[in-house]
Amino acid sequence: MDRNKISKWLKEPDKMSGKYSLWALYFCTGCGIIEVPPVLTSRWDAERFGVIPVATPRQANLFLITGYVSVKTLRAIIRSYEQMPEPKYVVGFGSCPINGGMYWDSYNTIKHLDKYIPVDGWIAGCPPRPEAIFVAVTHLWTLIDKGMAKGYVKYREKYELYRRNQEKVLGTLEWPPLFPIKDDGK
Amino acid sequence: MAKKEEILNVLKSFRDKGYDHLEMVSCVDRIKENKFEIVYILSSYGENETVILKTAISRENPQIPSAIPVFENAEPYERELHELFGIDFEGHPRLTPLLLERKYKIPPFRKDFDTRKYVKEVFDEIPFIEDKK
Repeated sequence: MDRNKISKWLKEPDKMSGKYSLWALYFCTGCGIIEVPPVLTSRWDAERFGVIPVATPRQANLFLITGYVSVKTLRAIIRSYEQMPEPKYVVGFGSCPINGGMYWDSYNTIKHLDKYIPVDGWIAGCPPRPEAIFVAVTHLWTLIDKGMAKGYVKYREKYELYRRNQEKVLGTLEWPPLFPIKDDGK
Repeated sequence: MAKKEEILNVLKSFRDKGYDHLEMVSCVDRIKENKFEIVYILSSYGENETVILKTAISRENPQIPSAIPVFENAEPYERELHELFGIDFEGHPRLTPLLLERKYKIPPFRKDFDTRKYVKEVFDEIPFIEDKK
């Protein structure tokens, strides 16, 4: 324990407690999920960084999207994301959630994940090495410290725009809006 | 190569000869010849051999009898072909969507489906959400 940081932690206990216990929900889309089991198990041991896998979205606050996102998967991703308690952070893992990657001209994968849910960080690579997850996690710590990982706040503020984008690609959504939608939101 | 009307009889005769495992039903879009080629892959566990049967149907009216009376496991393959190529399997009990979420005007695996145009029209039209107002 770093005693020099105690005064800082006492000032902002939520940041300290949030950043050292990132409970991760892995959304197993595509090939990036192959990199995740070695990260969790003894070889790379993600628990050194406070990252542990959880079973359900309702316990998680780190959401890893590990691979391409098809239109059908996007529906499940949005539902999982909306169930997660705040604060929640999303990390896109691999090239495909960033801009489509090798599926850039596919008829059935969405190209930019951040059009539909807010994303706090990206890990580029096709697929990235397991170490890249730790680079992302330590980078996420600095973002949380500086108050820059505010994707969930953005989602709350601009929920109309996100919901409109989601409806454009998925058609009508069968679940009610997470936040109240203003009528004049344009 | 077999004729479209006789495909059930041909499949049946192969099944009775011992090729009793339908591995796959597949389709090739021969757009220059204006034909769909339906491919049946049969195999035999006893003889360790594989037989590939092909039949051609027209692109304008893509209809073919379903192979379910002979091989019951043709059901998901034929549903998939109906979804991706728009082929009508006569006598299939449920030609409902299998994998795809969106509705496409042209089934997406046909050669005249322009994926880049489709991506431009659908996914690129959706705006980014900017940080500042």
